[in-house]
Formats: sequence, structure tokens, C-alpha cells
Amino acid sequence: MRILLAEDDPLLGDGLRAGLRQLGFQVDWVRNGEAAQRELRAQPYAAAVLDLGLPLRDGMDVLTDVRRAGVTLPVLILTARDAVSDRIGGLDAGADDYVVKPVDLNELAARLRALVRRAHGQPQERLRVRDLELDPAARSVACGGVPLTLPTREFDLLQALMLNAGRVLSREQLEQHLYSWGQEVESNAIEVHIHHLRRKLGAERIVTVRGVGYLMPRETGPG
Amino acid sequence: MRTPASLQGRLLALVLGLVVCAWLGTAVLTWIDARHELDELLDGHLAQAAALLVAQQAREIEHDGEDGDATLDAPELHRYAPRVAFQVFHEGRLALRSANAMATPMVPVDGRFREGLRTVRVGDADWRVFATHGAEHDIQVYVGELVEARDDILRAVLRSTLWPMAPALPLLALALWWAVRRGVAPLRRLDEQLAARRPDALQPVVLDHAPSEMVPMLDALNALFGRIGTLMASERRFTADAAHELRTPIAAIRAQAQVALAEPDAALRRHALRATIEGCDRATRLVEQLLMLSRLEAGTATAAGVVDLGALARRVVGELAPAALARGQQLGLDAVDGARIAADETLLAVLLRNLVDNALRYSPDGARIEVRVGVDGDRVRLQVDDSGPGLPEADRRRLGERFFRVLGSGRSGSGLGWSIVQRIAAVQGARVAVSASGLGGLAVDVDWARTSLSATSPPSA
Repeated sequence: MRILLAEDDPLLGDGLRAGLRQLGFQVDWVRNGEAAQRELRAQPYAAAVLDLGLPLRDGMDVLTDVRRAGVTLPVLILTARDAVSDRIGGLDAGADDYVVKPVDLNELAARLRALVRRAHGQPQERLRVRDLELDPAARSVACGGVPLTLPTREFDLLQALMLNAGRVLSREQLEQHLYSWGQEVESNAIEVHIHHLRRKLGAERIVTVRGVGYLMPRETGPG
Repeated sequence: MRTPASLQGRLLALVLGLVVCAWLGTAVLTWIDARHELDELLDGHLAQAAALLVAQQAREIEHDGEDGDATLDAPELHRYAPRVAFQVFHEGRLALRSANAMATPMVPVDGRFREGLRTVRVGDADWRVFATHGAEHDIQVYVGELVEARDDILRAVLRSTLWPMAPALPLLALALWWAVRRGVAPLRRLDEQLAARRPDALQPVVLDHAPSEMVPMLDALNALFGRIGTLMASERRFTADAAHELRTPIAAIRAQAQVALAEPDAALRRHALRATIEGCDRATRLVEQLLMLSRLEAGTATAAGVVDLGALARRVVGELAPAALARGQQLGLDAVDGARIAADETLLAVLLRNLVDNALRYSPDGARIEVRVGVDGDRVRLQVDDSGPGLPEADRRRLGERFFRVLGSGRSGSGLGWSIVQRIAAVQGARVAVSASGLGGLAVDVDWARTSLSATSPPSA
């Protein structure tokens, strides 16, 4: 899952990025409000962690602005401002969660997963499409009750497909889900990962829509 | 006598005392005036009576010829008669006298007869006597009156003046007590209002119908409340800001420690652990700065001596040089001798360290930082120049706001260094100015009044 981290403190930003990476997130880190706003409007992140006291542009302004621009991704405010009025203001401005520093990394990750899940209309932590089951927290996959071991990229790709089950995702969208900045993307990387997934799960689970992208059907046809 | 502690008691005692004094003064004046008037009146009566007696005696002599030898004792007609006496002598013989008069003249005739009024002592009583004589000096008349009788009248007059005071004084005291109590009622209301306040209630006191004398006091009180309120608000803001500022380094420490705990890769784990320690150092520095600021604001951190700024700058720059070298920064000092100022050496060192440290911290690797200590007439000047990115005008104005950090500097700072510098400068009466430096970055100028070597205390070593 690719998320945007907007935090100006070098030490905390570094720690959060490292910690969230350990927990399976792809993290892009911006250090000021203007960059955060630009990235939020341009990139398809699964979620964003937003500090309020950002240089150049306050986090609240950034949030208000991107919400007005129609950006719907889940935003978690992570801030040192703990006053009730600040919390209310943050949530009313369009934040989906409000966490006061300091925060446990596991809790932060769980909250992010919950936000992403809810954004996709999934009430449960585990994603389930037919007999395919994915646990984002444990990073485990089971097919028909049989546990599977998947490399990180394939797991992330499967998670993206399952989260958007029934919808077509373009190759570019999938790339943006999988890779954070600075990561070299080979031109046929997605095709290679899809190929591996089909081999492990069964070819019928991922459908190619020629010229558009890939989709994971919710049901196997009418019957 | 002890002065009554309460305003009400004091007013009461004062007014009552003045009333009694005025009353007594009136009594004394009345006494003097009444005595004078009474003496004039009664002396007139004596003279009149004497004249009558002279005239009567003269007529009797004309009528009776020269045969009236017998002394006549006039009958006593009134109970007050004993207080008045008269004698009529004809050719040296007593011709007529009142019942209580003696046979010899009331005024001893030693040689010459003296006409007029005088007071004489007869027996054991004082008499006021008028002596006169007939046209041919053969008739001598003495009319006397007991001085005691006059005093009685005077005492009666005085009594009637002073008597009403006896019942009037307590009544007056009561009325005054009531009036004073009413008069100081606004004070009492103020007292009740203040007593009923919660310790943190700082809204202005509103007193209905406050007398004009109390308005300045109320205004001063409300102004004081206002100042305390501002102070408390700033304290609260400071505490909130401090808590807020401490959260970020603590969050960083926590995140980095958690990363280290879960990181299998040794190099990444070491990185996270180093970052954890760095976070601890930052939190420590922040706490130290907060303590320094709160000590400065409490005004407890000053002890004045004479400090050689040049020598101190050499020490501070020497301490910071290794850190500068590590980043390839050129840190230079140019200090003259005799730059002595009256200041607390510890505080001055803190100010210097903050300024130089700021310049190092916010300038990139390889930057140049110049520290200069100079003497300019009766001022001592400190200048810290850097070739860093400098600051736009708007940001320069905001320096010194607590926790204000220059954005996008990429450097971790508490935003307190400048607050401390400005606070110390204010304590030492120094002027601080920030401008664009000739080196391309920021130039900070601080100047103090110079202290000559011969001044007050001996120079600190």
C-alpha cells in the first residue's frame, strides 16, 4: 500500500518512514505543505499521514484545499496539537482520523489499514474474494484455506486488485500502488508479477482487459 | 492612643474628636465673652447703685441738717441680698450700711480715697467694690458684690452651653457611625466581591455607583488584573507550546526505537538507534532551553560582574569550532581587547553560544561564519555573520517568537534559541539587530554599553 507522509521534522519523518516500510507500506515522504498538496492531488495514494504544523503551508489548509478539489483518499492527521478544538477542526476539515503524537507505529499502521479498508467499503480487516483471503496486518494470503507465501510486490499487487475487486485497474495505476519514489520500475514489471500471481492462484482469478488493464472478478460468472 | 485600624473607626474617632474640640472651644469663647459682658453689666449696676446712694445721702443731709449721726442699717430684703453690700460714709462716719456690711470701709483707706472699681479681699471672700464720693468729698459710698456670685452666674451660663453635649455626644456618635458606615459601603462591597472571587478569576471588578474617589483605585486594580491575566495567559501558552514542542522529539524517539526493535538489517537498525539518541539529545536541549527561558523570565539568573567579551567569545567559539569543522564550515573570530561590559558571564556565554550555534546550525556545510567583537566609542559590539541562506524580512521580524522556526531550513531546532538571546539582551540592556549579511546570509548585531576598567567592581578573572 502506498501512502504519503507529510512531516517536517527530519528525525520523526525518518522514523515513521522506516517504521511504516517495515509494516508493509510504500512511503513517500514530503517535508512541507506545498509538496504535500501537490502530491495529494497528483498521485493515487491509498492514504496520507499529515502533520499540521508544516512549513510553507499549514496541514489544515492543505487538507481543506485537497478536499475541495475532490480528493477523497483517507487522511490521517498526526500532530502534536492535542486540544479538543484542534481535533474537531481537523476532523471537520475532512480528516478521517486524528492521532496525537507520539504514536505507536503498529497502531498507526492499523489505523491506516482500517482507513483504507473503509474507503473501499470493506468492513473487515481481512480481504476476501471468493475463496481467496488476504490479511493486510499479518501480510498473509490463503487460497481455499491453503496458506501461500508471496513476495512483497506480488502481495501488494494482489492487495490492490482485491481492494478494487470488480474494477479495472490500469497498469499505471498498479505501478503507482506498488512503487514509491525513486524505485526503478521496469517496463514489464506489472506483467511479470501478474504472471506469477496467475500461476500461484489460478489464471481465472485475474482477468486482462486488453488495452485497459487488469481486474479481479468478484464472482466466477453467473453460476 | 492607638489609631483605630478600621477606616470606619478612624473616621468616627476623628469626627467625634473634632466635634468635642469645637464644642469646648465654643465654651471657652462663651466663658470669656460672657464674663466680659457680665462684668460690664454688673459693674454698671454697682456704679449706678453707688450714684443713687450718693444722691440719696446728699438729699438726706439737706433735709435733716447735720444731725443724722446715727448709723442706719438697711433691712435685708431678698435672699440674694447677702451677696451685695454697701456702705455710706458721711464726713468719715458711717451713715448707712447694708446688713451684711462691716463698719469700716470695704476698701482700706490708706491715706487718699480712690474712686472706682477694684476687687478686694474681705474676710475670706473676694468682693468687687465700687467706691465713689459726693460732690464735696464729704460723702463716700462703697457698693460691693461677691465675686463668687458672678462666678455662679458664669458657671450657670457655661453649664447651659455644655450640658446638651452630654446626651448629644452619644447620639451624634451613633449618627456618625451610621453615616460613616453608609459612606464606606462601596469599600465593603468591593471587599465582599474580592473575597468571593476564585483565585483564577481575573475579570475586571465592576462596582455599581462607585464613588469618584474609588474610581482610580478600581481602575488600577482592574489594570493589575488585566496584567496578571496577560501574564497567566502567556504562561499557559508557554506551557502548552512547550508540551507541544516536546511531543515531536518524543514521537521521533519512539518511532525510531520501534523501528530499531523490529529491524532485522544491522545497518538500518544502527541508523535507527543513532536517530533515537539524536532525538534524546534534541529533547534534552529543548528542556534545557525551556528551563533557561523560565529562569530568565522569573528574573533569577542575574549576577553582574565585568566581563571581557573578547575573551568570552574566544572561549565559546573554541568550544563550537569542532562541530563547525566536522561540517566543513569556516568559523572565524576577530576580537579586540578591552571590550568590557557589565553583565553576568554565564548568561553572556549562553547568548554568544546561541548566536554562533544558530549561525552554524542554519548554514550549509562549508559555509563561512564570522564572529567579531569590537569597541565603538562607549559601546561594545558583537557581530555574527554567516554565508548561509539568510532570512526574508518577514521571517526576520518573527525571530524571537517562542517556538518560531524558520521553515524549510531542514534543520532541527527548538525555536527557543532566539527567545533566549532576546531575553538575555533585554536583561543586560543590550540592543539586538538582525540584517542581511555581507557574507550573503544573516548578520546579527548586539551592542552593550562599555564599562571602563576603573568602574565599580574589579574585573572578573
